[in-house]
Amino acid sequence: MKGKHDMRGTILATVAMLTACVLGCGGEAEKQAAGSKGTIGVSVLTMTNPFFKTIADTITAEAAANGYATTITSGEFDVAKQQNQVKDFIVAGCSAIVLCPCDSRSIGPAIEEANAAGIPVFTADIACLAEGVDVVSHIASDNLGGGRLAAEAMIEALGDGGGEVVVLDFKQAESCILRVQGFKEVLEQHNTDHPDAVISIVAELPGDGKKDQGFKCTEDALQAHANLAGIFAINDPSALGARAALEKAGKADDVVIVGFDGQLDGRQAILEGKIYADPVQFPDRIAAMTVDSIVRYFAGDEVATQQLIPCELYRQAEAEADESLK
Amino acid sequence: MRGISKQYPGVKALDGVDLTLGRGEVLALMGENGAGKSTLMKVLGGAVRPDAGVIRIDGQPQAMLSPLAARAAGVAVIYQEFNLVPALSAQENIFLGLERATAGFVRAGEERRQAVELLARTGVEVPPGVPCRRLTVAQQQAVEIAKALAVDAKVIVMDEPTATLTPQEVQKLFAVIADLTRQGIGVIYVSHRLDEIEAIADRVQVLRDGQSVACRTAAEMPRRELIELMVGRSLEEEFPKRQRAIGQPRLVVRGLCRGTAVRDVSFEVRAGEIVALAGLVGAGRTETVRLIFGADRADAGTIELDGRRLSIRSPRDAIAAGICLLTEDRKHQGLVLSQSVLHNFGLPNAAHFARGSWAGGGWIDRGRERRAFAGYAESLRIRANAADRPVGTLSGGNQQKVVLAKWLQSASEVLVFDEPTRGIDVGAKVEIYGLMNDLAARGKAVLMVSSELPEVLGMADRILVMHEGRITGEISDPATASQADILSLAIR
Amino acid sequence: MNVNNDSATPVHRFRGVAAAMLADQGMLLVLVLLCAFFSVVTLDEQTPAGAEAARQLAASLPEELAEGGRLLVVAGRGGDEDAFAASLAEQAAAAGWQVVAVSQGGPREARGALEELAAGQAADVIACSSSAGAWGVFDGLGKRLPALAEARVLRPEPSRWPNFLKTTNLLNVANQIAVIAIVAIGMTLVILTGGIDLSVGSLIALSSVAGARMIRDVCGGQEAGLAGMLAGAAAGVVVCGVAGLLSGGVVTLFGIPPFIATLAMMLVASGSAYILAAGQSINQVPDAFVWLGRGADLGGIPNAVVLMLVLYGLAHIVMSRTTFGRYVYAVGGNAEAARLSGVPVQRVVLAVYLLCGLLAGLGGIVMASQLKSGAPTYGQMYELYVIAAVVVGGTSLSGGEGQVLGTLVGALIIAVIQNGMNLTGVESYTQKVVLGLVILAAVLLDRLRSRRG
Repeated sequence: MKGKHDMRGTILATVAMLTACVLGCGGEAEKQAAGSKGTIGVSVLTMTNPFFKTIADTITAEAAANGYATTITSGEFDVAKQQNQVKDFIVAGCSAIVLCPCDSRSIGPAIEEANAAGIPVFTADIACLAEGVDVVSHIASDNLGGGRLAAEAMIEALGDGGGEVVVLDFKQAESCILRVQGFKEVLEQHNTDHPDAVISIVAELPGDGKKDQGFKCTEDALQAHANLAGIFAINDPSALGARAALEKAGKADDVVIVGFDGQLDGRQAILEGKIYADPVQFPDRIAAMTVDSIVRYFAGDEVATQQLIPCELYRQAEAEADESLK
Repeated sequence: MRGISKQYPGVKALDGVDLTLGRGEVLALMGENGAGKSTLMKVLGGAVRPDAGVIRIDGQPQAMLSPLAARAAGVAVIYQEFNLVPALSAQENIFLGLERATAGFVRAGEERRQAVELLARTGVEVPPGVPCRRLTVAQQQAVEIAKALAVDAKVIVMDEPTATLTPQEVQKLFAVIADLTRQGIGVIYVSHRLDEIEAIADRVQVLRDGQSVACRTAAEMPRRELIELMVGRSLEEEFPKRQRAIGQPRLVVRGLCRGTAVRDVSFEVRAGEIVALAGLVGAGRTETVRLIFGADRADAGTIELDGRRLSIRSPRDAIAAGICLLTEDRKHQGLVLSQSVLHNFGLPNAAHFARGSWAGGGWIDRGRERRAFAGYAESLRIRANAADRPVGTLSGGNQQKVVLAKWLQSASEVLVFDEPTRGIDVGAKVEIYGLMNDLAARGKAVLMVSSELPEVLGMADRILVMHEGRITGEISDPATASQADILSLAIR
Repeated sequence: MNVNNDSATPVHRFRGVAAAMLADQGMLLVLVLLCAFFSVVTLDEQTPAGAEAARQLAASLPEELAEGGRLLVVAGRGGDEDAFAASLAEQAAAAGWQVVAVSQGGPREARGALEELAAGQAADVIACSSSAGAWGVFDGLGKRLPALAEARVLRPEPSRWPNFLKTTNLLNVANQIAVIAIVAIGMTLVILTGGIDLSVGSLIALSSVAGARMIRDVCGGQEAGLAGMLAGAAAGVVVCGVAGLLSGGVVTLFGIPPFIATLAMMLVASGSAYILAAGQSINQVPDAFVWLGRGADLGGIPNAVVLMLVLYGLAHIVMSRTTFGRYVYAVGGNAEAARLSGVPVQRVVLAVYLLCGLLAGLGGIVMASQLKSGAPTYGQMYELYVIAAVVVGGTSLSGGEGQVLGTLVGALIIAVIQNGMNLTGVESYTQKVVLGLVILAAVLLDRLRSRRG
């Protein structure tokens, strides 16, 4: 009896110490030395995507340079969790909140609460579409423009011959809808100007922005459309999934892939010629612009409600000159 | 063993017990449930570490820190619930933990040869390659003995080895034990069956309340004195007598059938009568009473109570009609061990203690339930303060009394006892017999199933003998019958 | 436990009682320890708000400002800020100071007010609310607007108090766990019978979508009245009840292991939610729909928390005082013995899965209300958190042992850990590690306890 009693005590104590240790260390690492001006609470979509990791890291760095501390969290696609994080920001008395909403509409109530507490909210990359809430500014890539760039790359790659193209989309995300919209706009214009080299979109499949899903959809597309000439994938993982399917089917040289994002994997694939080109986004610029907006807001300057960061086209030539790939 | 002590929270399970076992000797370890036999065995088997005392084998002190160490020291314990892996074959079980292997590969051929040899020494025919769950109880026991022989055991401890064996199997086991002793192996034999002790034991040691109260040769220990030593008080008759007042037929069973287990069984039990179903294990006795209780569905047959035909499709129907069953397997079928005594008591009576009905279950009047139980606790002599303890912590006798109490409360008219005294110590046995008599005297119909022939002969007013699903004979005057009479009907 | 202690000395008896407490209430102790730990860790500067802040500033003003001095009040938007501005302006007027302007809004409005003052009559003291005081507008004020170089900027004095122990935060903790805790009641019952229900996460999503669609398509969308919203909520709950009934039916009638049956239901429900919602979130619900999830009508306690507490109270009574409760424990402890004691085992199991489905549906409606929309992505992985709450709460996965109130403690432990780590800024990966360790510790404790028993 005595021995067991003691053992349980030991275990409890160990767990408590472990917890304290983890919390202590984590707390030290994440909560940057409190700046004089207050804390910015950040909740991104997911930390498993380097894009959002870059946003979070850059915000932390830029905020520190401007005298703000940051608390970084991630909703991991769970909007209820993200709502709780916002509530915790409010309780902790954050000066400003930056969100990459897990759901464009369902995030509304959380932002409403921040509004009620008088804390300004900024969105980065993903917009809030809920009505009646107050977002100071939305900072994101110019996805529409990026989509146009993607279409230009596709036209360039297919040359004068035209051909059949498949789009791997992700309809749940507003940004991806815009990319496809821009892509279609330019193709339509091209088709009216060059009726001899028509590029027709034969299918729009749900690639879900994931590698496995992109792989499956491309396999199916290859079955249905033997003459496939090009694939436009709305991000790098689905583009790489498409590439894998092409390699498996032995059609890697016949089908051109245009991706989106310009993440490290994507850029590497462009360097190796696996993906033709990416309109690249600049998460660091988005983050820097976000912090800049916060500083300007608190200084009483005018801040536009939407600020778009243009994308740039990135081909093999750019990849060869890219220092970060060496 | 010298001065073995073991303290459990609140209980001194063993208090300075000495035990000596000679080469080739059979020592019977006796005692009521809770006397400390199991603990002593666990100490021997290395499953429990004693607080004090030493164990010497051939003069060498042994540490006995784990079951493995005990095995290595030459002590093998065969528990009542066997330690066999059901999915593995006899051969694999025998060598479990000491596989004959080269670089991790089992030398199956060698194991097979040795297994056959070891099993032959047990005198029971066991196919070495068949999964143990498909073996009979006797065969499984043989595997356990072979397991002990495989490690060259000097001491074999057997806990209630005959509890589930048929009489022939028991005889075979005794032959094996005799054979073992000839090979110089000492056997410690734990049993409640006094006949068996007389048959095979050289010496008898009696434990009571964690202390050794007597140790004599079997010849010097008359049966009555032995019982009194175990119980610690003098007893009246082993099977209490009663006035018989047999009335009208109450339970009438006609043409009951289920597959090959129960074939066209018909009988009746009259008011104030105790009827016993006797026969070998597997003769269809338990199967028959399960049909009456609705635990299984009958293929054909009718059941009448007091002239009214019953439609019994589930235990609920049977209980509603006033039939109850005290199952042979208390732990798995009779009680919810993790729940308190009170909750078990209330289980079939929940509706009775409930006020109103709401969503399939009413509010339980806990006060009334507790008072009702207190009444039974007193009349059945269930241990005091037991009501809120998990029923699994009580001794077998007290558990059986709890089962009895719950059925008495549910106002049953027909009480079916399946092996009512299995695993129960002598003192509690007599009390249960008294209760059965009492119930019969109050005009209830009592049906019992038992493998213990003295019990059948001592208790029943009428004995029905079953064989292969059929009733093969009836003994209407047990007082003048003998065990042989029953066996001749049961074996055919 | 601790019976037959008559022979023990008082010290022994005390240790026995302490051990029993630890075994029975061990998780409650862990919860208290966690709360204490986070209270210490989240000790932080707290700034007063609203009328309280105004009172404080007004009290310190006489040191800074002579009678008739000019005062600018700056505050943000919202309830507390309004109260601050109004209260301070009133007190200042009463004390004989001249309130030259009250600026309410964002930093931009404040800057406008400052510039206007600089051009005109200037001010001696600028009194800010706590949140406005942090704005950058006031940095280097003298350089940008020399006319205001003499003006002093006053902010409410901060005090020290744990963020964790703020009333708003404690209510947050309870509110955040409400959904999981409500669903965990049903899960406790299922696990008590020795089963498991993996479908609850998907059912949350299904319920939120079914409810939101009912309101959008049948009850008039954003114009829906109380009856419409109730109909929507009922639709979500009933749909999940049917799903629970199906799971239970498959388990009882065909003897399919609950793990498999509810795994299938998890996929079916999740897929159905996506189909019903066409992959989108449905937010055409009236504003009043958030009453359940965000309202706080009973002394400031959120309605969802009240609902949770009421449900736990009911469940506790049902489990401890009714035959149904007894039957659930009996079925989990030993189904065969229960059957042979006349317990309608199949009906009990069926009822338990039905209840679990209904409660998951209710959880989904609460979540939809909190988020003012229904979406098929809700509730992902919630089954694991719910099971964790039950297990941490001391219910044995093998059935028959556990308490409903233990589950509430388990859910609160999970909520406190998540909230505490959010407050201290631990990132989500580490949070997962800690949560995993806590669940492990809980099961260890359970194992130790059963070994004693």
